[in-house]
Amino acid sequence: MNAIETRSLTKNYKSKTAVDKIDLTIKEGELFALLGVNGAGKTTTVRMLTGLSLPTSGECKVCGNDCVSERGEIKKIVGISPQDTAVAENLTVYENLSFMCGIYGHSKEKTEQKTAEMIRLFKMDEVKNSRAKTLSGGWKRKLSIAMALISEPKVLFLDEPTLGLDVLARRELWSIVERLKGGTTIVLTTHYMEEAERLADRIAIMLNGKIAASGTLSELEKLSGKTGLEESFVEIAERFGKDNVR
Amino acid sequence: MNRILSFSKRNFLEMIRDPLSYIFCLGFPLIMLIVMTLVNDTIPKETGMTIFRIDNLSGGIAVFGMTFLMMFTCLSVVKDRAGAFLIRLYATPMKSGDFISGYIFPMFILSILQSTITFFASYVISIITAVEINVLGMFLAVISLIPTTIIFISLGLLFGTLFSEKAAPGLCSIIISLGSFLGGIWFDVKGAGGILEKICTVLPFYHSVESARAAINLNSDFLIHLLVTIGYAFVITAFSVIVFKNKMRADLN
Repeated sequence: MNAIETRSLTKNYKSKTAVDKIDLTIKEGELFALLGVNGAGKTTTVRMLTGLSLPTSGECKVCGNDCVSERGEIKKIVGISPQDTAVAENLTVYENLSFMCGIYGHSKEKTEQKTAEMIRLFKMDEVKNSRAKTLSGGWKRKLSIAMALISEPKVLFLDEPTLGLDVLARRELWSIVERLKGGTTIVLTTHYMEEAERLADRIAIMLNGKIAASGTLSELEKLSGKTGLEESFVEIAERFGKDNVR
Repeated sequence: MNRILSFSKRNFLEMIRDPLSYIFCLGFPLIMLIVMTLVNDTIPKETGMTIFRIDNLSGGIAVFGMTFLMMFTCLSVVKDRAGAFLIRLYATPMKSGDFISGYIFPMFILSILQSTITFFASYVISIITAVEINVLGMFLAVISLIPTTIIFISLGLLFGTLFSEKAAPGLCSIIISLGSFLGGIWFDVKGAGGILEKICTVLPFYHSVESARAAINLNSDFLIHLLVTIGYAFVITAFSVIVFKNKMRADLN
C-alpha cells in the first residue's frame, strides 16, 4: 500500500509557484528523500502533506486520507520535525516529550512508557532533566525528532533534520534515522547529497517546484549516466535547466 | 480537555520558569506598592489627598500588576508564532479552541495568585501604617478583578496574534502606561475632571481600578464598575478569539 500519493500537486503564493504539478508515490515503510537546493519547494510540499497548508490545485493523499477534506485525520497520523527546532525551551526533555503525549491524548501509563522509550531510543538519559534551552543543537534536534515520533505516526516528516549540525551530531542523527527505517514511513527533506545517499530508499530531485527525477540511487545514476548522487544531481539539474529554458 | 490541560501546563511552566515574569508581574508591583506608600507618608494630611493611601492604592496596584500579564501572554503567543513550535502544534490534532484556552487558563491562575499576593502585601502594609483595611473587602476585590484579568489576557492574546516579535512588546508597553495612567491609579480622575475624566470613564481601566477600590471598602458601587468591566471582557475576549481563529485559518491556508 502507498503511504503517500500526489497527483499534479500545486501550490501558488500570489504570483509565485512554489510547488508545480508534482506526482509522487511513496510506499509504506519507505524512507523517501526530497532532495533539492534551498527554495526548491521541499518544505512547501511537506506543509501540504502534513495538513499545514492547502494545495492550490491537484490531489494528495496520506495513508488514503485526502489532504483537503480529511486534514483532521491526517494530523492524527503524521508527525513532523520542522526545519527550525520546535521545542518548548523552558521545559525539560522529559517534560517536552510528556507534553506531546498529552497533546495526542495518551493515558498516564502510555505517556510514561512512550517517554521512557524515546529517551532510550535517542540515548537522552543524561539530558532528560535538562531544560531544552540549555541543550546543544544536536540534542535539540534529537529531541525534536523524538517529539515527532512519540505519537507513533504512520508517516514521519523530517524537514532538513541535520541543517546546521556539526559532522558528529549529523552522523549520530543519521544512525538514529537508520534505526527507524522499515517501521515508520519517513519523508526526509534535505539539500545534503550524502544524507540522501546514505539514508534514502528512493530519492526525488526537486528543482524550481518540480520533480526533475525520482528513483533509487542506481536509477538516478542510470538516468544521468554519472556515478554518485552529487554528480547525478548536477547532471539532472543541468539538463532540467536546459529543458526549462527551451 | 487533555490537550488544553497539556498546553496550559506547558504555558504555565514556561511562565514560572522565566525570571523576568517574577520581576515584572510580582516584584515591580510590590515595589510600587511600597514606594507609593512612602510617597503617601510625605503628603501633608491637610491636602486631603488619599489616592496613595493603602486602601486606595492596593486595588490600583493589583490592576497595574495585571497589565504585565498582558505583556507575558503576548510574548508567549508571539514567541510561539515566531519559532517553529506553533507549526509543530498546528500539525497535531489541536484545535483553535485548545490553543486559546491553553493560553488563557494558566495566565488566569497566575493573575489570581498575583492579586492575592498584592492584597496580602497591602494588608501587611496597612498594619505597619496603621490604616484600616477590610480583609473581606480584599477577597471581594480579588473576585471583582476577574473580568479585568480576562481583559488583559485577551489583549495579550490579541496583540500576540496580530503583531510581530518586535512590535508586540512595544505596543504592550504603551497599553501598560496608558492603562495605569487612564485607570486613575496615580491620580484622582474625578478631581482632574474635564475631558480627561471623560476619556478615563469611557475606557475599561478606570472601572477596573474603581471596582477593586470600591470592593475593598465594601462599597456597593463596585457592582456598577464590575458590570462595565464584564462588558469589556466579553467584547475584547470575543474579538481576540475571532482574530486568533482567523489568523490560524490563514496560517493553515
